[in-house]
Amino acid sequence: MASRFSYFQLHRRLYTTTTDQWSIKQVRNSNFHSCLGDLKNHISDSDFIALSLQRTGSSSFPWHRPQPFDTLDTAYCKAKYAAEKFQILQFSLCPFSVRDSKLIAHPYNFHLFPRDELNIGMPSYSFSCQVSHLTSIAREGFDFGAWVYDGISYLSRAQESIAKAQMGCQTLTPNTDAVKSSSEPSVFDTIFVQRVKSRVKNWKDAYDSSSKTNDALLSTLKKLIVGIEQYGSRPSIVIDVYSERQTLLALELLKEFSDDVVPVVISAKSGGTQAIRAILTSSKEDKILLEKELQNLEDEENKKFRGFREVIEMISASQKPIVSYSSLHDFTFIHSKFLAPLPTSIDEFASSLHLVFPRVLEVKHLMSKIGGLSKPMSIAAALSYLKKHYYAPTYLDIPIEAPGNDHKPQGHNAIRLCHLFAKVCSLLKIDLSGVQSNNNECLASMLEKCSNVSSSFSPYHHEPKDEDVKIWARDVRKASCRHLVFLWGFREGMTAPLLKASLEGSHEVFCEEFYVRFVDKKCAIIVFSQPGLSETFLDAINSDCIVGSLREMVSEGLRATGYETYKRMCRFDLWEADLAESLERAIFEADPETAQLDINYSNDTVISLDDL
Amino acid sequence: MHPSHPLWARRLFCFIRTTNYSSAAVTAPATASNSSFPLKNVTKSNFEAALSELRSHVRAADFVAVDLEMTGITSAPWRDLLEFDRFDVRYLNVKDSAEKFAVVQFGVCPFRWDSAKKSFVAHPHNFFIFPRHEIEVDGPSSEFLCRTTSLEFLAKYQFDFNACIYEGISYLSRAHEDAARKRLNFAYGDEMLDASSNVTNVRDKKRVGIADVLFRERMKNRLHEWRDRLLSERNMEFQGQEGSNDHKRQFQTIFFKTRPALTLSDFTSHQIKLIQLVIKKHFEDLCFVVVNDGNADLQQFVVYVDSRDDKELLMQEVNRDQNKAAETKIQSAIGFRHVIDLLSSEKKLIVGHNCFLDMLHIHRKFIGSLPSTAEEFVSSFGKHFPYVMDTKILLNDNYILRRRMNKSNTSLSSAFGSLCPHIAFSSLRVNALNDCVQVEVQVDDLRSSKWNSGDKHEAGYDAFMTGCVFAQACNLMGIDFIDCSTSKNLVDNEILQKHINRLYLNWASGDIIDLSTGNQVTESFKTRKHRVRVSFENIVLIWGFSTNLTARKIKACISKVFGQANVSSVNHLDESAVFVQFTKPEMVSEFLNLKEKLEKRDDPISVLHPLTELFDARATHAAGYEAYKKICSSPMSKLLFSDQAEAVGINRKTMLIKSEAKRSKIDQAVDMLDETTEIQGTEGEANDLSSTNYQSLRSSSM
Repeated sequence: MASRFSYFQLHRRLYTTTTDQWSIKQVRNSNFHSCLGDLKNHISDSDFIALSLQRTGSSSFPWHRPQPFDTLDTAYCKAKYAAEKFQILQFSLCPFSVRDSKLIAHPYNFHLFPRDELNIGMPSYSFSCQVSHLTSIAREGFDFGAWVYDGISYLSRAQESIAKAQMGCQTLTPNTDAVKSSSEPSVFDTIFVQRVKSRVKNWKDAYDSSSKTNDALLSTLKKLIVGIEQYGSRPSIVIDVYSERQTLLALELLKEFSDDVVPVVISAKSGGTQAIRAILTSSKEDKILLEKELQNLEDEENKKFRGFREVIEMISASQKPIVSYSSLHDFTFIHSKFLAPLPTSIDEFASSLHLVFPRVLEVKHLMSKIGGLSKPMSIAAALSYLKKHYYAPTYLDIPIEAPGNDHKPQGHNAIRLCHLFAKVCSLLKIDLSGVQSNNNECLASMLEKCSNVSSSFSPYHHEPKDEDVKIWARDVRKASCRHLVFLWGFREGMTAPLLKASLEGSHEVFCEEFYVRFVDKKCAIIVFSQPGLSETFLDAINSDCIVGSLREMVSEGLRATGYETYKRMCRFDLWEADLAESLERAIFEADPETAQLDINYSNDTVISLDDL
Repeated sequence: MHPSHPLWARRLFCFIRTTNYSSAAVTAPATASNSSFPLKNVTKSNFEAALSELRSHVRAADFVAVDLEMTGITSAPWRDLLEFDRFDVRYLNVKDSAEKFAVVQFGVCPFRWDSAKKSFVAHPHNFFIFPRHEIEVDGPSSEFLCRTTSLEFLAKYQFDFNACIYEGISYLSRAHEDAARKRLNFAYGDEMLDASSNVTNVRDKKRVGIADVLFRERMKNRLHEWRDRLLSERNMEFQGQEGSNDHKRQFQTIFFKTRPALTLSDFTSHQIKLIQLVIKKHFEDLCFVVVNDGNADLQQFVVYVDSRDDKELLMQEVNRDQNKAAETKIQSAIGFRHVIDLLSSEKKLIVGHNCFLDMLHIHRKFIGSLPSTAEEFVSSFGKHFPYVMDTKILLNDNYILRRRMNKSNTSLSSAFGSLCPHIAFSSLRVNALNDCVQVEVQVDDLRSSKWNSGDKHEAGYDAFMTGCVFAQACNLMGIDFIDCSTSKNLVDNEILQKHINRLYLNWASGDIIDLSTGNQVTESFKTRKHRVRVSFENIVLIWGFSTNLTARKIKACISKVFGQANVSSVNHLDESAVFVQFTKPEMVSEFLNLKEKLEKRDDPISVLHPLTELFDARATHAAGYEAYKKICSSPMSKLLFSDQAEAVGINRKTMLIKSEAKRSKIDQAVDMLDETTEIQGTEGEANDLSSTNYQSLRSSSM
């Protein structure tokens, strides 16, 4: 209700500040290709691109969602898990610039459905939906019928290359100069080259002579004997290859005929190359014409394969800074759906992402520089908070879209994000309108302001990994994760004060100050204030000679483990409904063999796990 | 399953659908206007009325046909390997499907024999259901999986997604109902507990802010004032007048359960806690009450009570109200399960087509979580639905029907077409044959005997078709409906006894499960051809090998060690795993031992072993059939089998860490080998060309 309310407030405000009626261009499959041209212009004219994703769900269990006590690694594991499970329903995109505290924005909202357009089981075999998410989207008036019938499909970069191979597509040879035989040719190579060369020669000669004689019967016979095919109106020949090495050799030798022969690579179903088609052209001009034709064909094909990814490629190619609200969350989705499957570590993810999107600005992080905004909130809530507490005039200037667009309130988050970004920047005294004139300098300073964002993502300025985590969402205090112990197996209906009371006096480590925080109903975190106490406690609880009330509690089922187990559990994707369940599985599966693997990079907790 | 329309046609179709649905998002039509088949569509808005009507129809019915539409069938490609699934494994895979996917449409069609008109009367109902939560339920039921192609499939048959999500009827399983009831009781108890603990918390706090002290003092005075005025005015007519205007907004006098009371509004939760504390500390005759009026808002009152007894009386009254409100809430949250309860309590014969998965869905969604074995499932399900008839079994079991079907496909639509042409095609209705059962359709009070064919794969119409097939099948088997005692006692009918409660557990291998006994049998092989017997104890599962190894190569590789005759088959589960079937069970353990030995030893001899090629990749794993069962039983579903095996943790347990030294030794040896066997290798490769490659070779030389 709250977000709806603020939406209407925003709505009213936007209407009053601008005389123009603004609308968000809703893009589905039927109007997708026609709007790409406009989008391209808008992107190249803007300074920034804001994006926001509407998903089919977020994790239903509290501990599956990012928690304040997550490190960057575990937060990434959680984001990865969600990105692999759910789908993007709507992708709202808004190229924008700020000129004299006036926001010029061009909002788009793309409706995506992972339809299997090519009948190859891609882009997505199946996906999860969260009921509460769908119902809340329904409340906004989302048309689910149109989503399935007319959503835009896509293939990721990785999927595209698999699909092309599966369908045996042909591609122009990228750059024949790069093709160099690396090692000494073997006997087989020589035989292969000679055979192919003579075959190509025969074919060319045959064609030259047959074109002169013009005898239909003779040319047919020749076709049968030499294996000539037609490629369009031009003659061609197919050279089968059985290895990548042979592909290189064949391409190399075809260069000899490069005056009038164009080689095309045909991929095999299993990946790699199946054959090379050589096409004979009649003249140099004809060759250029053919190459153009093939290029167009490939572009056309790409369009069919890429679908919505065309937009992602467009954004990437523009190299404009991207404004995202919660970048880890957004870009894990973008990476897994449009680039490639997510790598296991956040460093690999960051470097892979950096190649495609070098500049990402996280508004959430920028906002943390403003006081009072440390707790997590939605874009709309943040916007209304700023409006209430700060004066920062920004005016929206959104050109009127062509009539006939539906004006349903969908995909507003990207435009809200532009607005929020502009406000936050003006509060932080970052001049956005200068970006255009002295591009590099300004942006560099701004990037520095959000330096933490880029460092959290980029592998280049890597600080020694700070393993301190926050425990409470609203509390700025941090604790090292080595001081954290996960505790579960107590009776139902236990509360933090009760648990704390029963722990006090059960062991000497609890004489010092400690905190208790519940993660879910069945699992709590204990935060020790002194170093070393967590290890002492874990050793004590796992040793044979525990005494007193702690012994009593352990025999009642109390279990404990360190932060390493939590990390490992996230890494191995052990996502049970209850955190306690998952932790138990992680301990159970840590038999000596895997523990050995762990010793390489963590010496602290494995020892205690072995005792279990 | 695969859309066969050309792309342009689908585009056009999409366009038409969009224009239709962009405005129709909010309200779903109660009866489909575009379908010419008379059918009752039921959504949230007309559910109550439809339910009470359905009650009488079901009571009067001789049997009830059902059909379900789901958001998907298999959660991973390797879960669909019907031929290699043993009984128990098949159950696990069907269970996985029922647990992950949602039911979006539920067709219920009661059939009643009308002895006067000598025809059946069918009442096809099409319920849109959606697992929306009317009351708070936690657990995995709040998520469901969608198979992309299944949604496309539904879209192809014009499924109304908006009607389902916006207007779908929600439901609550029996297990969830119990949990919700417990929770509501608990929540109430908790609230009381909470309140008291909060009170102590506030008192325990060492430093109480001055603001709080002032606020408490002010509240104490106000409550005093209010109570004193109440008492002084008691003998006069109570007017409910307040003194000053500023706190009139927050303090409003009303009557609560015939007692004068104050409603507290616009206070923060902390302030409410302080007020509670004040009342508890200073006022014996005031009582703090929280009422949940069914909406999200809680209302707080301060009620004046005469005595301690009166206070207790008041609390009891409040409790009673609370329980009543909770009860109505739960009743309405049960939603569509009322229909299932109705079918269950009436103990009618339930008819479905190839309906084992449907029954599992019914159990999972409306009764409770699925047991881990088929036997337990059967005993649990039988308590609720004692009589189930599967028309697919009937058509394959019965000799007369098999002959009548004339070896044609036993899919629902084809069975309907060949057994009930007089119903399927209205043009044939006129010259209906004598041995045809007549069926009329009644929706609301409108009875019709002529219609055009309905939308295939719409649950209501599919249920209707199933019922018609069953009725016609009964007729062909010689069950005489005109004798009115037969129709009333269908479940005891001698002819049907042989077939009742028999369901296909696995249609592809002909495994049948008997719902009344839990016995599992495999269909007699006379009725089917081309069946390969799979002996599960002879199977080794291999996964994680390098991608260029095909089944043929693996077979050749293993044959070199065990002999050509002893490896009976190698089949792919998916690209990452194979089943190897030996001729003798002891070869399985022999193979596994050999694998372990080869991996431990790193001398050149073991490197030259033919199996090294297969095991060379570090990720290659092998296990017997029981490991496969374990992998299938996991709630996870990774797309690739090797990923699934790893996620389940089988890999991690059997993994042997090879030293780097060994790796390099292998590499050296392999290099050596390469030189000597290169010629052989290329020859072998040439022979091993896949058929498609061969095809293209031929076509290119033409």
